[in-house]
Amino acid sequence: MQLPRTPVVVGGNRTPFAKAGTRYASAGNTDLLTAALDGLVARFGLAGSELDEVAAGAVLKHSRDFNLTREAVLSSALAPTTPAVDLQQACGTGLEAVVYVANKISLGQASVGIGGGVDSASDAPIAVSEGLRRALLAANRARTLPERLRALASIRPGHLAPVAPQVVEPRTGLSMGEHQARTTAAWGISREAQDELAAASHAHLARAWDAGFFDDLVTAYLGVSRDTVLRPDTSVEKLAALRPVFGDTMTAGNSTALTDGAAVVLLAEQEWALAHGLPPLARIVDAQVAAVDHVAGDDLLLAPTHAVARLLARQGMSLQDVELYELHEAFASTVLATLAAWESERYCRDRLGLDAPLGAIDRSRLNVNGSSLAAGHPFAATGGRIVATLAKLLHERGSGARGLVSVCAAGGQGVVALLEAV
Amino acid sequence: MDADVDLLAGMPRLGPLFARAALPSLHRGPARLPRSTAVVTGVRQDVARLADYDRVCGFRVRDAVPPTWLHVLTFPLHVHLLSGPESTIRLAGVVHVSNRMRLHRPVAAGEVLDVSVRAGNLRPHRRGALLDMVGEVRRGDEPVWEGVSTYLAPGARVAGEPEEVARPAVEPRSPIAQWRLPAGLGRDYRRVSGDPNPIHTNVLAARAFGFARPIIHGMWTHARLLAALDARLPAAYAVDVDFLRPVLLPSTVGAWWQAERGGWSAAVTSRDGSRAHLVARVRT
Repeated sequence: MQLPRTPVVVGGNRTPFAKAGTRYASAGNTDLLTAALDGLVARFGLAGSELDEVAAGAVLKHSRDFNLTREAVLSSALAPTTPAVDLQQACGTGLEAVVYVANKISLGQASVGIGGGVDSASDAPIAVSEGLRRALLAANRARTLPERLRALASIRPGHLAPVAPQVVEPRTGLSMGEHQARTTAAWGISREAQDELAAASHAHLARAWDAGFFDDLVTAYLGVSRDTVLRPDTSVEKLAALRPVFGDTMTAGNSTALTDGAAVVLLAEQEWALAHGLPPLARIVDAQVAAVDHVAGDDLLLAPTHAVARLLARQGMSLQDVELYELHEAFASTVLATLAAWESERYCRDRLGLDAPLGAIDRSRLNVNGSSLAAGHPFAATGGRIVATLAKLLHERGSGARGLVSVCAAGGQGVVALLEAV
Repeated sequence: MDADVDLLAGMPRLGPLFARAALPSLHRGPARLPRSTAVVTGVRQDVARLADYDRVCGFRVRDAVPPTWLHVLTFPLHVHLLSGPESTIRLAGVVHVSNRMRLHRPVAAGEVLDVSVRAGNLRPHRRGALLDMVGEVRRGDEPVWEGVSTYLAPGARVAGEPEEVARPAVEPRSPIAQWRLPAGLGRDYRRVSGDPNPIHTNVLAARAFGFARPIIHGMWTHARLLAALDARLPAAYAVDVDFLRPVLLPSTVGAWWQAERGGWSAAVTSRDGSRAHLVARVRT
């Protein structure tokens, strides 16, 4: 066997994404992931097939779902002997799962697999308070009745309130929006620029839906056939009317909404795919993760700029050699701050250690079919959505076209990947 | 023919109906069943209740609904027919002895359906009479599901020689799965199925019918077994079950399934597999 082998994206499938607490409110992560897998299986005729591995994960995960992906595989039409693994890297989960499978394919440890993710903000786990949890654990450990009673007696009324998951950085106590508001202010990102980017995201996604672009990337679920966050009729004017929720400029319109959904990507070794009548869309050329020290004041969501710099250096490429850019829109200002950072001589020199800035990009090549502001952002599902979308876009542009995926994640992390059309 | 169709404006509510269906029949003459077919058209499925049903029975929340859910959609019409003046047999007190259903094609949660049920095939049994409730679910002209629920009405009088009803013999075998059924399961299934029969939720009611504790609905056990087969089930199939012994709540039961030509044989058993509560056969 010659190494490394070439991992390719064969295709993808996702559920339409739905605003949290609405159309998928009664479905859980396993249900959504199963639906996404079954749609992929149906599209590529994989019913009863044993794949080498399925990798996926969720950010908001119940402790009972320790084997979420394996359980979804068992509920899917794939052969029950298909192994699965759960991964988690906050909003980088979906892309990291794709990279995991692609790397196994490169190393000859797998020929075909699925990477992706799912999140249901509607069916989020509710935990008991830390005080109650510790008291219950102590009572459980107790060997005698008095010990048990003493443990239970430590429970206070305040302990009984349930605890919902929050998107808060444990080390700063700031929500992701609050962190990003600092970045937005530091980089001087204007309200107008954010609203323009948000409006463009909706317009691009709506146009792609109307053109049938998602017909072979999405399978309807529970009566939903399009992303429900999408507002085709929104405009800069309508977005300008919203009041800020983070800082002075970040609104519900230029921040992503809590969303439910699942997305998966079919990956295979190039020769294997061709031999099995599965025409590849794009190669996974390279990938990189990076982290910043947000606890020391770094911009929480700009870690991908570091990853991009390393990946481009390794590939001997400039940022402008890329034909299509897919920058996950956690917030409009995250994308705009990333572009500003790439253009900043000082940031590229002092933070990324580069001699020259990465430079400006052609904005008409950015998120050409919309991104998370319009589609919604079921955390772990976003990577799969982007990879499948980009692979298809690159394939349409023709062999050799390269595309960059950049996804920021909680904890000051970023995952990026480079794809090339087959 | 039209005279025999009882077209209802909507699905009857089960609470009040069941109260009537629970009144013991004072009828002493030969048993009689309604002749009409109860029909409700344009039934929209309640996706939230479906998802709740899925969770209670162990199904994934899928676009394609379980065939036992379609039975649940027909159930109010069972109660309607067996509580009306034309029927000398009351639903409360009958024993669900077997069930057959066929799903002709996958039915989506979003489909609007026409639901009908008729009662028939009244026949003598050594303990009373057997009858069939024959349900059908259609999408326009297309039948998508059929089900036959066979009930035993103890003490009902029907002329003729009781026919011998063969009950399947089940060999003891080791269960593949073990399920713990909590005491509140009857309440959960009542919520999702709408079947308010108190023998499933109330100890006194259960004792009145000779059970030490409440028993779980047979159709829950049926559904739970299909849920265990999950993705191993084909897209369209027929499934026949015999209810052999009630399952008391709470309890732990076993279950096994085995692929066979053209489908599956399966059973819900005692924990050790020695006695069967329900046996099932799935055919494509």
